[in-house]
Amino acid sequence: MNGKALVLASAEVARARAGDAEALETVYRAFATPVYNLGRRICGNEEDAEDVLQDTFLEVCRSISRFRGDGSLWGWVRQVAVSKALMLLRRERGRRAHGFGGNGFFADTHGMAPPEPSAPIDLETALNRLSPVSRAVLWLHDVEGYTHEEIGEMMGKTASFSKSRLARVHQRLREWLG
Amino acid sequence: MMGKVRHLEMAELLALRDGEGTAFGRSHVEVCASCRKELERLHQVRAELRALPTFGPPRELWPRVAAAVRQRRLRRRVVYGASALAAAAVLAGLVVLRGPAAHSAEGGGDVWIAEAASQDLGPMISRSKQLESLLEVYRPAYKVYDAPTALAVSVLEDRIVLLDRMLAESRSIGADREVLRGLWGERVAALETLVGLELVYDERVEQGGRIWR
Repeated sequence: MNGKALVLASAEVARARAGDAEALETVYRAFATPVYNLGRRICGNEEDAEDVLQDTFLEVCRSISRFRGDGSLWGWVRQVAVSKALMLLRRERGRRAHGFGGNGFFADTHGMAPPEPSAPIDLETALNRLSPVSRAVLWLHDVEGYTHEEIGEMMGKTASFSKSRLARVHQRLREWLG
Repeated sequence: MMGKVRHLEMAELLALRDGEGTAFGRSHVEVCASCRKELERLHQVRAELRALPTFGPPRELWPRVAAAVRQRRLRRRVVYGASALAAAAVLAGLVVLRGPAAHSAEGGGDVWIAEAASQDLGPMISRSKQLESLLEVYRPAYKVYDAPTALAVSVLEDRIVLLDRMLAESRSIGADREVLRGLWGERVAALETLVGLELVYDERVEQGGRIWR
């Protein structure tokens, strides 16, 4: 992934930044799968993952002229994708709740899905059982490597929120995975 | 008599896994097999998470993204025209002092100002401006439509761009006033349809329809 991003940075990004349609498509082709996977892993379903993918690349096409090239292109695209995925979670939560409480969009403190499985389950199934926010914290920290400070900031919460949520998620995974 | 051993809590184990543990935590896992095993398990879960299969997009989505980007660029051209109109309307008061220059094919800006101030075209120009302001309200930076709506929006936006060109051309050749009135009237009608379309679409989305589908 990084190697590909470097190739893009040297050969295509300048054209993409100038709005060249072919170069923008090249950027899309290079990163569509990791962006979709990120959306799928955070949101937990195909439909939302498609929305994340589309929203991300609309934003990338709109803003790539502002990409300064001081980090990897993938790092920048990924940041956009995470932001879109979290935005989508906020929207979904808002829809379900018919309004947002005083604690903000990511205030679910009872985010685990009932009922408890009677036998050990596999990791994929366990991921799907987690609440979207718990899944997002787990994925962003353990897989994508974001720090608790970064996650807290992206979610409009604190680093402590991210830390305690991750601890609870792992506690739950231990029970579920057996 | 031995005191009860305090095992590490999950947060402490995770901190150790992430290389941020306390001195107590580090020394504890060296002597506590139970916590060491738990720490190893956490490493393993993370490794398994990272090894999960990668999902790829189930269908080709680039054409939609590209179409939305093209649509936005077109829209910006329309909005550019709107900005010129708005500027003309703001400056319209000056025309009273300077006198209309509608017949001057050279002075494009003066012509727009004169049109905005005129009795026959002024209301249509003002209505155009009002409708364009409404469109800005209904449209976030990116708005993506379903296919039929996208097509209708595209046709209308193309029409508006064409009308703007025809208006510019008509001015440059000193076309009859009636022609200008007709073109402005068509522009207002196209904008009204566009605003109506946005309202209907928004209402549909509000009622549960998903964008993009």
